[in-house]
Amino acid sequence: MRRDVRATLVERRSLSPDASLMLFHHAELTGSVVPGQFTMVRVPGQGLLLRRPYSFCDMDTGSGRFSLLVKEVGSGTRALTRLPIGSEVDCLGPLGTSFAMPAPGRRAVIVAGGVGIAPFVAFCRRLQQAGHVATVLLGGRSSHDLYLRESFESFGMDVRCTTEDGSFGHEGRVTAILDESLDGDAELYSCGPQPMLLAVAERARTHSIPHQVSIERRMGCGMGCCLGCVVYTTEYVRACSEGPVFDADSIRWERDPHPL
Amino acid sequence: MTTPDTNVSIAGISMRTPLIAASGTFGYGTEYEEVSDYSAIGGIAVKGLYLEPREGCAPPRIWETPSGMLNAIGLQEVGIERFIAEKMPPLRDKGVAILVNICGSSLSEYAELARILDDVEGVSAIELNISCPNVHEGGILFGCDPVMAARVTAAVREQTRLPIIPKLSPNVTDIAVVAREVEAAGADALSLINTIPAMAIDVETRRPRLANVVGGLSGPAIRPIAVRLVYQTAQAVDIPLIGIGGIASHEDALEFLLAGASAVQIGTMSFVDPLVFRKTLDGLEDYCRRHDVHAVSELTGAMLAS
Repeated sequence: MRRDVRATLVERRSLSPDASLMLFHHAELTGSVVPGQFTMVRVPGQGLLLRRPYSFCDMDTGSGRFSLLVKEVGSGTRALTRLPIGSEVDCLGPLGTSFAMPAPGRRAVIVAGGVGIAPFVAFCRRLQQAGHVATVLLGGRSSHDLYLRESFESFGMDVRCTTEDGSFGHEGRVTAILDESLDGDAELYSCGPQPMLLAVAERARTHSIPHQVSIERRMGCGMGCCLGCVVYTTEYVRACSEGPVFDADSIRWERDPHPL
Repeated sequence: MTTPDTNVSIAGISMRTPLIAASGTFGYGTEYEEVSDYSAIGGIAVKGLYLEPREGCAPPRIWETPSGMLNAIGLQEVGIERFIAEKMPPLRDKGVAILVNICGSSLSEYAELARILDDVEGVSAIELNISCPNVHEGGILFGCDPVMAARVTAAVREQTRLPIIPKLSPNVTDIAVVAREVEAAGADALSLINTIPAMAIDVETRRPRLANVVGGLSGPAIRPIAVRLVYQTAQAVDIPLIGIGGIASHEDALEFLLAGASAVQIGTMSFVDPLVFRKTLDGLEDYCRRHDVHAVSELTGAMLAS
């Protein structure tokens, strides 16, 4: 059940010069989220209007805490990042679709770029609980952008990193190490910048590998009403309701060349 | 003091509160059921409908501006047939007035939609979309020309006994002229304003923020303009007005009522706060108690001289 709750900001961890992991407390909301889902967060601030969509990064039902990965890109994200600890924040959720587990005997290969790692922390926690070891390919411009790498390692995942400037891991784009990570058992999951998603989708299609993708879009309502967040499949469908997790093969990327 | 009377009646449509969910912001009326309080809602104006389903504009479709939202959705909708078969039945038992917003690419399409809706159980009124800025056929093309606006209204009038509520565009030289024309052509009430044509550009990429380039601006940013247009229209016509434009609180709703509206629509702000209807209604009731007003309807046009 979706609800609009007032969650308490309990902690902010700086992950890089411009990204933070923000931890909120709300036991009921935390307990109702499935990995891949998102929340619409109301950001207090002069002149700021619409809520911002954030994938749930991780949920800890024991402490009733959930986390969001926030990168400062504009006035809304800046205001959210600077909220004082203890602030009450309106969070609408859980919203949207979630990641399906890999089929029995198959192995998850996750490709994440920048803040696109967000939905995979909770998903890898779930994979670990189910006894899976996923391959996690993390990509960023520099080592600063490889957020929460240690979390994936702590879940026992096979983590491989690339940076465009070579400051950590393999130098280049994350898709450069994709082929060596694919075999007949792989099921792909991706989230990140659209060029990366396109490259992964092309590889998945070539090798007939199932591929679930989490799509980032600007959203007005998150409830399926404003039709602002659409993605083209056989028609325009809502990233907030039919997504954000889609079967990548259903998406006609060329209909949406400049999504953000 | 007893609870103030929040019932309003507009063109024969009885509503338990003067708060209506604005077309295009509340889907087909059921999307918000889990998180909104429908008991505070008097009516729902459903997403605009043509005869046939429409794909809508390419994305990006929305962009936030200071206290405002730019949109160019382009009336993505399911078509009248699917609306009646699938969307209308669950709406009938919500206790709210149902305003069906229609749009056509021709006079005959508006007329045909009205003819079809005339027989549909549960429809309270037809809201005539002659003001959408984001479609190339119909919409604002009809609303910016007083003669065309009147012809659409008359064409619909011939086909239905339902109350007709043309939704007016702010993008006109003199809204009073359009208002008088559609009143003479048989409109029972007016809703105003639709979004204000507007645009924004990403200077880094030099691309427009919206794929459609131009969109419609809504939200608190446009409210003072909307209040002024409601006030001017109230001076020009005798039929009741439904005020729209960035309402976020009971004070905002009150401005529209005092300027001459009999009810208001809330749109963009329900995205921000699904409980905006409940909070606004509570605030209106509290205001009535503090000001010794027995019925919200007493406030219509009750602004005092300067």
